[in-house]
Amino acid sequence: MILDIKNTFAEIGETTIFAKRFFKEVFIPPYETREFLKQCYVIGYKSLPLVAITGFIMGLVLTLQSRPTLVKFGAESWLPGMVALSLIREIAPVITALICAGKISSGIGAELGSMKVTEQIDAMEVSAINPYNYLVVTRVLACTLMVPILVFFADAIGIIGGYVGINIHGDVNFYRFLTQIVQSLEYLDLLPATLKTFFFGFFIGIIGCFKGFNASNGTESVGRAANSAVVTASLSIFIIDMVAVQITDLFF
Amino acid sequence: MEKQSGYTWKLGMFVTIGLLLFIMAVYFIGKQQNLFGSTFHITSQFKTVSGLEVGNNVRFSGINVGTVEQIQLKNDSTVRVVLVMKEEVRKFIKTDATASIGSDGLMGDKVLTISPGAKSKKEIEENGQIASVDGIEMYDIMKSVKKSVDNIGVISDEIAIFSHSMNNGNGALARLVKDDKMANSVSNTLSNLETGTKGFSENMEAAKSNFLFRGYFKKKEKEKKEKQEERKEKQEEAKKEKQEKQEAKQQKQDEQKQEEQKQEEAKKSETKN
Repeated sequence: MILDIKNTFAEIGETTIFAKRFFKEVFIPPYETREFLKQCYVIGYKSLPLVAITGFIMGLVLTLQSRPTLVKFGAESWLPGMVALSLIREIAPVITALICAGKISSGIGAELGSMKVTEQIDAMEVSAINPYNYLVVTRVLACTLMVPILVFFADAIGIIGGYVGINIHGDVNFYRFLTQIVQSLEYLDLLPATLKTFFFGFFIGIIGCFKGFNASNGTESVGRAANSAVVTASLSIFIIDMVAVQITDLFF
Repeated sequence: MEKQSGYTWKLGMFVTIGLLLFIMAVYFIGKQQNLFGSTFHITSQFKTVSGLEVGNNVRFSGINVGTVEQIQLKNDSTVRVVLVMKEEVRKFIKTDATASIGSDGLMGDKVLTISPGAKSKKEIEENGQIASVDGIEMYDIMKSVKKSVDNIGVISDEIAIFSHSMNNGNGALARLVKDDKMANSVSNTLSNLETGTKGFSENMEAAKSNFLFRGYFKKKEKEKKEKQEERKEKQEEAKKEKQEKQEAKQQKQDEQKQEEQKQEEAKKSETKN
């Protein structure tokens, strides 16, 4: 029990050191631009269909589910604003981050884990390539920058899903729908939500890399690295979300 | 290199569209709050802003033309409200326009409404001040509602007293309603009146026949007598008629009062509902 707790803290400490190393190395040349772009492509573009489908369904379902309550109050016209607000503030960032945790974090964990197990990382070090710079910095940076963009897509597609959801029961002009949404939004809804997605992205990348980079020898450790990367990243997303919402609440 | 360009354009498109979405969101939200485009400011002072908040809409002729930018307490009974408005509506807002605070629907946000003035033709200037009209507070509504409810209470008390005296009192009205004797005497009076008029017409006939058969000299006397008789009869008749009229009047009043009572009761039940 105590050993478990101690191990947990040890892992948190190691992750922190790992993250610190990222901030040190990110400014040190050589900059691996090509690898960075490739990772951006893999992380951003390749995740788009998944995020789009999820976002659409979330918007649709959220509209259908909140409709009965609002109808009870005769406040049906608030539906677009409410759906857009909850999508942009909370649901799109968290759902997208969770999807990315599942797809990207596990992918990175498995990839780096298998490289570690097959001693490719050691080989890189021998051939005078900084494996941290080449593998970790590019991936974490790509994650940090791509997840927010994926969230923008999820926002937009979720709102379209909401429009479809509203039109199942009623008939609302698309322009009117957008006006209602814009009317109910403020910068305070958009900016903190966007800011926290950068943290989501960073943690997804850094946890995936850390788990892969520190995989022990043996094939089964690759699976373990991928698995624990998903679990830890998902958990950390919720924790960051809680902290972010509380900070937003505190200041505004 | 070719392989690289295979994904870079996709990546570029992805990033561009994503950022475009974000910029669009920023732009439209900013436009909603009049952050872009030319604007002007006007101020107004209120005793109370009744929960108006920064960012609430400003309406002119029912159109959203701006937002509330600032609300600050000036002293213990004055609140200064700064509004940011679209430049294009400036030419419609004159110096004697008034501002009032209303509510957008039953549960909606507060809305600041600008109403045009009547006389002035001078456009309002940047940072110009317009007069304010105090809106109706919930408190005021409740006060007036309470007043009318109190009045209804007084009225219903009076109705209760009235109906009680109707049922238990000895007044003419009460007796008319409940007393059998009274009803009998009324109907007796009526029948007496009927026979009286019958007798009178018979007498008239008799007088006519007398007048035809008796001589001329007796005519005058007879006439006098007749007249006296007639007068007597008339007096009697008048008395009876008077009585009858009174009865009828009373009945009418009675009916009216009953009707009033009914109406009051209906009102009462309405207000209760």
